[in-house]
Amino acid sequence: MRIRATLCLLLAGALDLTGCTKPGDTGNNNQVGPPQKGGELTVLLDSAFSGSWPSGLDPATNTTGGGNLTQMLAIYGGLFRLVADDNGKNAKVVPHQAASYEYADGGKTVHIKLKPGIKFSDGTPLDADAVVFNIKRDMQATCTCKPTWQLADQDPITAEGSDTVVLKFKNPSSVVVSSFVVSNVNWIASPTALQQMGPDAFRIKPVGAGPFKVVSDQLSSELVLERNPTYFVQDRPYLDKLTIRSIGGDQPAYQALLAGQGQAYEGMTTIPLLEEAKKNSQLVVTQQPATSPYVIQLNTKIAPFNDKRARDAIYYATNVDAIRQGLFKGAYPATQSFTADGGLFHHATIPGYKTYDLDKAKALVQQLGGLTVDLGTLSAYVADQVNTALQTQWQAAGIKVTIHSEQLQGLVQNFVGGKWQAMLQTAGAWDPAVGVGVGFRFGTTSPFSGISDPTIDDLLQQASASSDPAKRDSLYLQVGQRISDQSYAPFILAFAPASVVTKNVHGPGLTTLIPPVVVNTAILWDEVWMSKS
Amino acid sequence: MSDVAQRGPAPRVVSAVLGSPALHLIGKRLLTAVPILLGVSILMFVLLNLIPGSAAVQLLGPEATPDQIARLNEEMGLNRPPVTRYLDWLGGVLHGDLGRSLVSRQPIADVLPTRLAVTGELVGLAFVISLAVAIPLAIAAARRPNRFFDKVSMVVSTGGLSMANYVLAILLVLLFAVRLGWFPAIGFTPVSKGLGDNLYSLALPAFAMAFPLLCFYARFLRSDLVDQMQGEDYVMTARAKGLGPWQVLLRHAFRNSSFGLITIVGLNISGLIGATVIIESIFSLPGIGQYLLQGILTRDYIVVQAIVIVFAVVTVLANLMADVLYAVLDPRIRYGSH
Repeated sequence: MRIRATLCLLLAGALDLTGCTKPGDTGNNNQVGPPQKGGELTVLLDSAFSGSWPSGLDPATNTTGGGNLTQMLAIYGGLFRLVADDNGKNAKVVPHQAASYEYADGGKTVHIKLKPGIKFSDGTPLDADAVVFNIKRDMQATCTCKPTWQLADQDPITAEGSDTVVLKFKNPSSVVVSSFVVSNVNWIASPTALQQMGPDAFRIKPVGAGPFKVVSDQLSSELVLERNPTYFVQDRPYLDKLTIRSIGGDQPAYQALLAGQGQAYEGMTTIPLLEEAKKNSQLVVTQQPATSPYVIQLNTKIAPFNDKRARDAIYYATNVDAIRQGLFKGAYPATQSFTADGGLFHHATIPGYKTYDLDKAKALVQQLGGLTVDLGTLSAYVADQVNTALQTQWQAAGIKVTIHSEQLQGLVQNFVGGKWQAMLQTAGAWDPAVGVGVGFRFGTTSPFSGISDPTIDDLLQQASASSDPAKRDSLYLQVGQRISDQSYAPFILAFAPASVVTKNVHGPGLTTLIPPVVVNTAILWDEVWMSKS
Repeated sequence: MSDVAQRGPAPRVVSAVLGSPALHLIGKRLLTAVPILLGVSILMFVLLNLIPGSAAVQLLGPEATPDQIARLNEEMGLNRPPVTRYLDWLGGVLHGDLGRSLVSRQPIADVLPTRLAVTGELVGLAFVISLAVAIPLAIAAARRPNRFFDKVSMVVSTGGLSMANYVLAILLVLLFAVRLGWFPAIGFTPVSKGLGDNLYSLALPAFAMAFPLLCFYARFLRSDLVDQMQGEDYVMTARAKGLGPWQVLLRHAFRNSSFGLITIVGLNISGLIGATVIIESIFSLPGIGQYLLQGILTRDYIVVQAIVIVFAVVTVLANLMADVLYAVLDPRIRYGSH
């Protein structure tokens, strides 16, 4: 056992990884036999993020929908979903409750055709009227998970017959379907149940057409679901019962898994626990591919970073590999742009990207006559650690650095006030055009951007309008190149969550790789199964 | 005919009850509780308004734009002046309505009973365990001070006092749930599904909360008993009467020492309820501590205010109960000489 563990660690070192699995591997060496029906699974979610659903589970009123993918997908399924090969490659958005989609009018109109005969768990039909009702309602939501569509002024959301929904936009867009999987419009709730129950009761015990229906819901504590007998996919879901339980972090969750009180935990990030879990033969760790890298945003609108030499100095003073190895034991890949190997249009390197060079950094600081930087971040354990490391590294180049971490309110105020200098943030998404995509951090009009660059704005606009993947790839590469050339924001590494399951649990997104769409992976719950052994 | 005969026995009893010092004490304490509860609610409201971040910011996360935050603040009524919000809330409470959660829109009165039941049982069990172990331990140690058993119990209780209950909780789970598999690591089984299963599910969290307490109680009671046994005249008198050491200890010294213990137990109630916040989080128990934590994290002042008021009421009642127990145990208080 000791030899095996040592070999594992040696191999890990050789692979530049922390364990025997690596992003790109499923980590699932326990795939036995065909999927089996039955079983009750308890999935544990961190109470600080995905295990918190304080405003309920109605897509239109859930203000934390982006973090509650597991709950929402289990109850509602989705019009579309993101699937990938077991190793996370070839990820693509495919119709699920939708049958097909078609862009028209040069990308200004999208026709979504629904699969026939789908019923909500209350027996009412999931038809075009239901979808139109939901999308209109969801677009009024205050959740940041609502899509940022620029809908047409006249009849933007309409039904065409009973099975087709028509969406009309002001500008051409090729990413409408991609945006479904990261937003609340993907989750279709029963309008009849909503009307009968009233919005306050519905948000506690919602009715959808997903693989499971709600038995009981104690907000942010425990959600008990059972198989939806009217689910439209034959012989799915495999599980009889799915219980989602909120738990106070990685350590209690890990212990609960070991004690058998849970079979799956999503979003583990504590490196020592992940290493422990990888050594445990009863557990399977699946490190999901990364899509959202840490980035040091530099505010180019004010001093000192309105001077490119100051920005260059930060690039040269930042030793990404030391941070990767020192803090994360090489678990997460370095990146030079706004996406990572799990995302679309990823390029591992950007030509001319400025990497660590202490001498050059020192020379630039001297040239500038000194450099003083205020570096902030959103208060979180990992981010605080990275900021402390950055402070040490930058000080070695002669830069005077003060670091501080903010609560949400302070962070938002800082961005909106525009007086911030440098911020450690995460950027990117599976598709750079949707969610917290590249425009969010680098677009001129975004309050969370530190740059004002019409060239980037134009490239981003073209990329989201184009339906040609090759053209989009080229445009995003140009954006990455521009960010690098102008030294707008050095990228650190691409952080990704891991799922830990007991070895009898199998399923896409749990034991196979699917790129995370928001922070966590969108697990395909109807395909999750448990072996009897 | 005598006065008593003229008035009859019933009015005499009523008069005696109304004139009882114990009843006066209860009435006085309950009246004092009103400004305390009002003060607590005002203080809590002010503190919640001083904490950076609104419910809208907490709920929408770092990607929220100022417009989205403003809209949600308006939807939740947080754009109204704080004084208006407080007075609205207070008006509701005075009419028996604790309000609806800002975030979930659930009536607090619907949520509290089930959560209160979990926490009440947890705290109750922790007290039962701590007292059931601490009292015999302290008596046994005080019987022969500075001998082997006393020294061992002192070492154990010092260790217990030095350990935070959340650390103990994790260690207990590792040993009794993960390693030995004797108890569940997380979760709660309601009494409706069987008392055995219910107690089984609360065993580890209750013990994690009870252990530091029992160490404290054992040390406190042991010291007090030793003092009583070594320095009090009534102990010497009892011994002179020929009572054995156990009789003196149990019938005389323990009775006197229990006053201090009752005071400490009454004061510990609020601390113990506070400890449920972290213990319920570790053991994934759907109690009021977890609900309070969620309320604070989402800045849901309606939820936090309601829970704090409940905590304050429980604390006031616990201390009142301690006072009543004094009266039961001490005739001087019962008959009004103190």
